[in-house]
Order: sequence, then C-alpha cells, then structure tokens
Amino acid sequence: MSSRIPDTHAEAWALLPWLATGRIAPEDREWVESHVSSCAECRAELTAQRMIATQVQRDGGVSPAPAASDEQRSFNKLWARVEASEAATPAVDARGAVGASRSSRTVRWLAAAVVVQAIGLGVLGVSLRGSGTPDNFETVAKAEPRINAPAVRLVFAPSASMSTINTLLSHQGLSIVSGPGAAGNFTAVLSADAVASGASAESVASVISKDPNVTFAQPVAR
Amino acid sequence: MSSWSRKVAAVALKSVETPPVRVLNPSNDASERELLERIAKSKDQAAFRTLYGNYYQRLSRLLSRMSVRREDIEEVINDTFWVVWTKAADFRGASQLSTWIIGIAYRRALNALRRAKIRPVSDEPFDEDSISVESTDAAETDGQWLAQGLTRLPVEQRMALELTYTLGHSCEEVAAILDCPVNTVKTRLFRARETLKLVLPELAGMSGDKA
Repeated sequence: MSSRIPDTHAEAWALLPWLATGRIAPEDREWVESHVSSCAECRAELTAQRMIATQVQRDGGVSPAPAASDEQRSFNKLWARVEASEAATPAVDARGAVGASRSSRTVRWLAAAVVVQAIGLGVLGVSLRGSGTPDNFETVAKAEPRINAPAVRLVFAPSASMSTINTLLSHQGLSIVSGPGAAGNFTAVLSADAVASGASAESVASVISKDPNVTFAQPVAR
Repeated sequence: MSSWSRKVAAVALKSVETPPVRVLNPSNDASERELLERIAKSKDQAAFRTLYGNYYQRLSRLLSRMSVRREDIEEVINDTFWVVWTKAADFRGASQLSTWIIGIAYRRALNALRRAKIRPVSDEPFDEDSISVESTDAAETDGQWLAQGLTRLPVEQRMALELTYTLGHSCEEVAAILDCPVNTVKTRLFRARETLKLVLPELAGMSGDKA
C-alpha cells in the first residue's frame, strides 16, 4: 500500500474516470483502488462516472453517424488527391520505395504526356495558321494572341488513352497550349465557340474534374 | 469486524471491482502500426484504406462533438489522413499511433473552427443557471440530458470527456492528443464532471460534495 494514501482523496478523485474505464496508469491503480474501497464518497463518484461514461458512449454526438457510403465517398476524394499528387511528382522516389507497378504507370503516363503534347502542338499549329499572319510564327512559349482566353490547368489520369483525351478535350472545346509542366500539368484554352456558348474556365474545370480520366482540373487565373 | 462493517466492505469491494466501462472502437496499436509500415514502405492503398476505415467513424464523432461543421468534417478527416499518407515514414512510434492520428485531427479541427469563427477554446466557468430544471426533466426522460450538458461544456472539456470515455484513452494519452499537461486534463475532466452533475440530479445526489 502506498504511503501517499492518507493524503490522496483529491488525487484519487481526479483519477476516477480512468479507474472507471480501466485505463488508469498501473502505478496508480493500487493506491486509488485502495482509497476508493475505504472512501464512500469516491465509491459513489466512481459509480456516477461509470454511468456518465455509458451515457456519453450512447450519445452519438451532435450529428448522426456517417453511413458506410459516406466513408467510401470520402476516401475516394482523398485517394483522388493522392493520385493527383503522385501524378504531379512522377519522379521515382529517392528512397526507391515506389513499387514496380507504380514505375510502369509513370512510364505509361510520360508516354501519354508526350503524345498529348504533340497533338496539342499540332492543334495549336493549325489554329495559328488559320488566324495569324504567315510571318508571325508563334510557338507554345509565345502564345500572346490567346493569352487572355479562358484557360484550364489539367492533369490526366495515367490510364487515360489518347483517344479518350482527344474526345475529352474536343467535347469541352479545349486546346492544349502548353505542357507538360514540371508538375505534369497541361494548360488548355477554351475555343472562341465554347466561350460564345457560355462556357467559362470555371465551368469547364468543374465538369472535366469529374471525369475519371482527369485527376486535376483548375481554372487558370487571368 | 461487525456485520455492518462487513457489509460496507463488501459494497466497497464490489464497487471497485466492477468491470471497467467498455470502450468503443478500441485501437489495436500493433496491427495499425503494421498498416502504417505498409503505407510508409510501399504506399499500400489497401493498408491506407483499412486504416482510414478504422478511424473514420471515430473521428467523425469526435469532430462532431467538437462542433466542427458537418461540411467541414470530411475535409478535416481527409487532411488528417493526407498527413498520415505523406508522413507515415516519419512516425517514430514514441506514442500510440491512435494518439498521433487523433492529435493531428484535433489540431486540424481547431483550425477549422477558427476559420468558421467558432471560438474553439474557452476556460470560462460554466454558467450553472443556464440549465433549467424544466429542460433537464424533459431531457432526462428521452435520454437527451447528457447531450444538453455536453453542448454547454467548453470544447476542451468535451474532448477530454470524449477521449476518455468513448475512445478509452488514458490520461497521459489525452494530454498528448490535446497537447497539454496531464494535470490540465485532470482539471478539465474534473470541471466537466461537475457540470454534468448539474444536468442530472440523480448523479448530483449519488455523489457527495466536491472533493
């Protein structure tokens, strides 16, 4: 029996919640139990705390408990964020912790990115040939004539095929003007027709971000 | 020993030896550490999903109890697990994994409350007159008395209570999660206990005066 017992009523009282749950520290259990067995006030309080603990557990909190579907939906959002981040930093982990499947996925993604970039350049070339003067040749890095067009920054899912990406872009009236950037992102501008029909960078980003072939879509601030 | 003394001793022993209150959702630290290790070493999605599932309900309830807005709860949970995903390799195991994860969620929740301009921490004394006898009587009949009392507790007292009674954390673990001294946890819980007695007359009569 501990020598602290004669002067421990207040200390034991403070530890009663953890005696009630069984999570009291081993070094405290003996002397608190000893005190409680000889203190009617602490015994009554221990009983009261067990009742409160039971009631606290029964009370589910302020909001109703989330459903299992909520949990899966939330996790899907988080996982999309993880994948977007992984896609934005496709370089192999310095510690070599990335598995083989992830490496091959990175290679496929890079290959797709190169093809998308080529198509983007082609689309841009056709567009510029139709609208610009012959001696005013423009490159991807020099896109001033379209600099104020609504633009969206995109990252495609590694599994997205070329035809899927093409369809996706054309449906939204988007043309790639730059990319892939260091973070694996492309910048695409809205066509004049799309703008005329009421589309904006925000609306297109919102729609396209829901497509499973797109892991990231954000309007570019102008 | 007289008959009366024996009776008192028997009651005392029974009271002390009553099995502890069953804790909801107890953590299995060893198996959760294995999951974290798989996340850290091989970015294992299945392990991440399992760990997420182990905490989703617990954190939802805890954040709800903190008065985090419903629309912010998912964001806080996902921000918490974003840290778990990105910092898994940094967890050194000095504390329980649950303490680490719930501590992250608690700090994120405080930020969410600040953004929502909800005062997260208050050490102001509880206004005993704010609980009416009428509402207590009505609440008691349908089991809502406790919910009433809890909403009147400062959030840090609510957290000490919830972490202790629902999630079954020790005093030291609660202190680690709330990032405060052990004695502060005891004080917060002491105040919470006194306040709750005000909303349950039965308890007030069951226990004696304050220690």
